[in-house]
Amino acid sequence: MKALLISDKEFQTKTYQNLKSLLENFLNTQGLVIKIFEVGTDDLAFCMGCFGCWIKKPGECVINDKMAQINRNVMTSDVVIYLNPIIFGQFSANIKNVIDRYLPNMLPFFEIRPDGSTMHPPRYDTYPKSVIIGYGDMISEDDKQLFIDITKKHRRNIEVIIYDETPETMIEALTKMELGRVDNLL
Amino acid sequence: MKNIVLISASPKIKDESVSKKLLEMAGNLIDANAFNKTFIDVRQCISHHQLLEAFETLSKADVIIISFPLYFFCLPGILTRFLQDYYCYYTENKGVRNIVKVYAIINCGFPEPELNLEAVRVIKSFSQHINAEFCFGLLIGAGPMMFAAEDAPFMKKSIQKLNNAFSTIAETLHHEHVTRTDNIYIGLNFTFSRQLFMFFGNRSWVTMARKSGLKKKDLYKQPYC
Repeated sequence: MKALLISDKEFQTKTYQNLKSLLENFLNTQGLVIKIFEVGTDDLAFCMGCFGCWIKKPGECVINDKMAQINRNVMTSDVVIYLNPIIFGQFSANIKNVIDRYLPNMLPFFEIRPDGSTMHPPRYDTYPKSVIIGYGDMISEDDKQLFIDITKKHRRNIEVIIYDETPETMIEALTKMELGRVDNLL
Repeated sequence: MKNIVLISASPKIKDESVSKKLLEMAGNLIDANAFNKTFIDVRQCISHHQLLEAFETLSKADVIIISFPLYFFCLPGILTRFLQDYYCYYTENKGVRNIVKVYAIINCGFPEPELNLEAVRVIKSFSQHINAEFCFGLLIGAGPMMFAAEDAPFMKKSIQKLNNAFSTIAETLHHEHVTRTDNIYIGLNFTFSRQLFMFFGNRSWVTMARKSGLKKKDLYKQPYC
């Protein structure tokens, strides 16, 4: 099985280094092959909101940069783990850019989900298990809760962990998860 | 005279931006004799390397109104970059004003305005980080339809609510005694069927794809299989 780690070059703090080595050790013991993308400020262009990935080149971003490689690796992995610095209770700019440009992996149409809200349907039958880990120093309780709400409230099949307790707590949370591809419940 | 900075943060480069139109509507109701109005377009600002000028303007603001589209249930990356970098500027510069009022105008393509709520909370958190006072958010569902179908009879109620909301923002700015902290939600008034809305919405993607020389089945391509 393949695991992909996506992290932010801009916030390679001591907390990040500890988190990364903890994850690498855990994933190695689980027998997963690890690949890492560390995304910096100048690595990716911003999404242009052009919808070219839906109506011109369906399934692929029309911007020619590293994102094509990242999206290919995301969609062909079994597990994708985002190591995200929590900024104002949401994703950091670099990680948010990766998430915005994930759009080609969904279809443009509308569908109603069981909770009655509208969503774009999945493009693929299965997706990698997505785990989003938020980290940072001196993050307020409100910002932690907001980060959890942003990640989980409107999505299914995504796990979120705040890395602010002991390493054992995080390993315990990861151990409880089934790491492998999941159904297309967005 | 007080300074008001109106920030438009649509990532779009060529197409018309709903966020910008909404911001202009809000800005038009603000008295030019009482406020010195400055518009900042985040995309233009970043493309033309004018961030420092924008941050200097922002640091002198008494009021900030930020208008943007919802991207994956929170702020678009381009706005996150702008605010993240402004926060660095803010922490490094001591001359930044502390009593600033912040408003958010957020629109999403889905009809439910409630989906914008977490993005409002992000702007509130940003406000707290820069010691500003967050006032309230205007949460708009089906944002693009507000302009694409503004003359249609079924949009009348929503457009009226939109105008009232902008008047409320202006009123809280012009009269110190008028305060409001509750968010304002504006969605589609489904006097017609929601299924019909979705039918026409879905059909519009096929129409747009055909203009690019694609067939309907092409929209379902799976390049990473």
